[in-house]
Amino acid sequence: MSDTVLDRVAEGVSSKATPSRGLRNPWRKPWGLRLVTIGYLAWSVLPVVIAVIFSFNSGRSRSTWQGFSLRWWTQDPFNSLFNDPSLRAAMFQSLKLSLLTVLIAVPLGTAFAIGIDRWHGRPARGSNFLMLLSFVVPEMILGVSLFLLFTQLLQGLGLSGTPAQILGLVTFQMSYAVVIVRARMLSIGPEYEEAAMDLGATPGRSIRRVLLPLLAPAILASVAVVFADSIDNFVIVRYLSGSADSEPLSVKIYSAARGSPTPAVNAAATVMLLATVGAVVVGYLLYRAFSKGQRGDDVTSIASQV
Amino acid sequence: MAGAEATTSTTGERRGAGRADEAAGRSGAWFPRWYWPSFTVPGTAWLLVLFVLPFYTVMSVAFGTVDPLFRTPLPVYQPWWWSFDTFGETLRKFYAGDAIYQEPLLRTFLYVISASLLCLVIGYAVAYYTARYAGRFRIVILITLVAPFFISYLMRIYAWQSLLQPDGYINDVWGLVGDPVTWLAGRPVTVILGLVYGYIPFMILPLYGSLDRIDQSMLEAGRDLGAGPWQTFRRVTLPMSKPAILAGLVIVSLPMFGDYYTNDLLGSERTSMLGNVIDDAVSQSGRGPEAGSLTIVLMLIVVIPMIYYLRETRRAAGHA
Amino acid sequence: MERRWSRRQFLGRAAGGALAVPSLAAILAACQKPGTDTSGGGGAEATTGPIPIATPENPVELPLNGEPIATDTPIEAGATLQVYNWIDYMYKKTLKAFEEEYDVTIEWTTFNNMEEGVQKLVAGQVQPDVFFPTTDYISRLVERDLIQPLNHELIPNLGSVVWPSFTDPGPFYDLGARYTVPYTIYTTGVAYRRDRVDDADAVAQAYDLLWNPEYAGEIAYYDSYRDAIGMALIRNGVTDTNTNDPAAIDAAKESILEIVNDLDGQIRINGTYAKLPEGEFTVSQSWSGDIVGAQWYLPKGTSWDVLGYWYPDDEPGMIGNDTIVIPTTAQNPRLAHEFLNFFLSEEHGTENFASWNGYQPPFTSLEPANLIDEGIVPPALDRAVVTENMFTTGLIQSQLPPEDDKLWLDAWAEIQTGG
Repeated sequence: MSDTVLDRVAEGVSSKATPSRGLRNPWRKPWGLRLVTIGYLAWSVLPVVIAVIFSFNSGRSRSTWQGFSLRWWTQDPFNSLFNDPSLRAAMFQSLKLSLLTVLIAVPLGTAFAIGIDRWHGRPARGSNFLMLLSFVVPEMILGVSLFLLFTQLLQGLGLSGTPAQILGLVTFQMSYAVVIVRARMLSIGPEYEEAAMDLGATPGRSIRRVLLPLLAPAILASVAVVFADSIDNFVIVRYLSGSADSEPLSVKIYSAARGSPTPAVNAAATVMLLATVGAVVVGYLLYRAFSKGQRGDDVTSIASQV
Repeated sequence: MAGAEATTSTTGERRGAGRADEAAGRSGAWFPRWYWPSFTVPGTAWLLVLFVLPFYTVMSVAFGTVDPLFRTPLPVYQPWWWSFDTFGETLRKFYAGDAIYQEPLLRTFLYVISASLLCLVIGYAVAYYTARYAGRFRIVILITLVAPFFISYLMRIYAWQSLLQPDGYINDVWGLVGDPVTWLAGRPVTVILGLVYGYIPFMILPLYGSLDRIDQSMLEAGRDLGAGPWQTFRRVTLPMSKPAILAGLVIVSLPMFGDYYTNDLLGSERTSMLGNVIDDAVSQSGRGPEAGSLTIVLMLIVVIPMIYYLRETRRAAGHA
Repeated sequence: MERRWSRRQFLGRAAGGALAVPSLAAILAACQKPGTDTSGGGGAEATTGPIPIATPENPVELPLNGEPIATDTPIEAGATLQVYNWIDYMYKKTLKAFEEEYDVTIEWTTFNNMEEGVQKLVAGQVQPDVFFPTTDYISRLVERDLIQPLNHELIPNLGSVVWPSFTDPGPFYDLGARYTVPYTIYTTGVAYRRDRVDDADAVAQAYDLLWNPEYAGEIAYYDSYRDAIGMALIRNGVTDTNTNDPAAIDAAKESILEIVNDLDGQIRINGTYAKLPEGEFTVSQSWSGDIVGAQWYLPKGTSWDVLGYWYPDDEPGMIGNDTIVIPTTAQNPRLAHEFLNFFLSEEHGTENFASWNGYQPPFTSLEPANLIDEGIVPPALDRAVVTENMFTTGLIQSQLPPEDDKLWLDAWAEIQTGG
């Protein structure tokens, strides 16, 4: 950045503009803000780090350290992560829900965004409004509504459990994909497709060969966002869950926290954490590969779109 | 998540509205009229069935009756047979008689407003530092700021529950200055800080995005004209980040209104929020219509910030 | 080649098609004036008609809503048995033993209190093979055809291992044990930490232990409305734990609110078995099984002597039992019968109790007098042992008629919102 330039400029500027507190340079880095930022980052990260460490506790406490052990990972015969099928089933369910949601929500949302960008008129604005409403509505309202839908109106269809959870998650996440892809579409003009069609491509081919590759960074970003948001979703999946095999890890953590949590729960959460981070890293690398040579987006602007 | 439409529209990368319309008009000649709508129809149909229909079901349950034996809800789908007795009774519990829902409602507003303001103050400081002064640490800080999105909210609050136990580390540190405190025994402070911890990432990133986009030359102009750092901040930076501040406040407060799990893990009945009231009604057999009525009440409460946010993003997108 | 579809036509057809199929049945069913159709919940028509409320003074023989499964039904092989039970209420080793003996898998769906559990069952969200209700729900479950009659030939242990009174004449809520087998028996009293509360003080204060300001911030109370309000009623001198007296219920409610608001108390289901041994609470409302089972949650190095339990020995106290039933939606009813028999067997039922659960099963082989000598129950918890004659004098909670239930639930709603 141009900090050093500014510093040099500032040396030449009189400091009399601000009440002097005996500081030589009022434009130097503010240590107060730096302290707040470092403090915030530590506050944000430390609890999770401590929770991960406690998964290796030798006793059952999550708050008092009693020694290092793999008891809750592999050794305890009934309650360790390795030996307790319910925790593994919960992790598997989280993964299953998020993958299926991504598979449905991202294409649905991408198509929606492409259409809404090109389609004009009242019905288009109506659809857009509906989508924005689903983006902004608090999850609790949507959760209770979907719960009542599936247990009352659609009761006979036998959709409880994973099918209902997928349907609910896609409804909640689709708007994220739409918003991210739409933002990218706003920065791509229609010229590329027009050029393709001038050269003889049909509309379908121009979309497949021209538009979609241009949208690839945004599509990847929505895959990452929808994946991360669904894997940790709690409100909707809890209300729509049926028996234990449809309870993802977030619901298991919640039930355990109200019952008798053990460090095995910490262990399961750690595994999910690593899986999600891994997926995001892979997604980021793919994103970098796809957007080589394309203008516009970099890490910071994607981060600000999140 | 936050204000994507608002932020990207100010990048100025769109080539101008006039030319886009022209192009769309031209492309209309090459695509049949149903072409573009067909992209949007699947998503719209999905939302109609799984977004609009559930709301209708909520009303049908709220204005329906109850089966006497298990008191399971019997929804009434025909509006002409709707009964507003339960809804009226639920509303009365907010202001009349025992007014048992009044305290949770007031508490919810208190906690949400306090937590949102705290999010703003802390979040702005962090976003400002990251945007202006982070230098070569910017990427590292951004990764740390984005990380909470990829960690389960439940895990983060559960981690705090462990720290706040009577024998946890918070009391170990607190013990240096005073007696141990039962943090988890229904203290508003615990719940408010829990809400801040959970939702502050939603505030920081949009603020960062907005602050990052402020043109450096504006600030230098202020400096050249003799303004000090505080004045530059007050007169240049703050007004330019106002849309992001408002957007951030709405994005952060909307989910807080329906939050119940933070209080479930970190608080007690004494700090129960509107979300807890709704969750209790939903989870217990016999209170279906009441659950529906309470959901309608929550919708009415959040509809104003929601509409405000929608208009802001539509207006910002319209600038493109 | 352009097709002219009016947007309205397209949307109209799409919307119509989407709405027509799923809601047809529901809308047809709802076409009659609401309230005239009494079949809700389980979805089946009620075949038995209303069942009178069962109390110890007026025992009820539940009508048969169908035939039990035939004795020669083969055991479902390789099945996944769906068990729907409280959290932390079965020993995982016993479950594993069942899985190995029958070569099946068990899937255990949990609930944190009875209201939550029944809600999901009635809504059809879970379709278990085995369910563990409290006794005040049995009549309602039968009336709604949610549970099926049992075939006693497939559960021999019911006759040979369990107290005879549970089959002949049978419990008051199910004469002849047509639908239920008992799981555990328990009393409801006050647990306390003996390293912070003197035994003599505990006996002197009785229920008031939970209202003692000295323990503010360290009090736990059950998140189960019948037990919670019931104990407050007794503390206030009302001995009818099935009362419909609004004044009594109101006073009980105010007492509980005092714990929540003035004494920093917590309302949760895990206060006794999980948190008291860890030291987070000093006194808590407790089922007898919870405090006996708490020994397995003590931190390493802490003796079981710190666990204490008070229950009245001169006046009637709260007592009850849990049951196991087989829902009508069971996919594996034959295997479910085996499961019931397994948990009623001396070997496995006793292991479940003695090695982990803490909740006493009503087995004739388990002499209450020997439980402490055999090291199953900690010596300090002598009041946690349940004997058969305690049932004759104890206060049993029975099903409440809907209007009374509403009074209780409204009071509970107020407690949950902090009043």
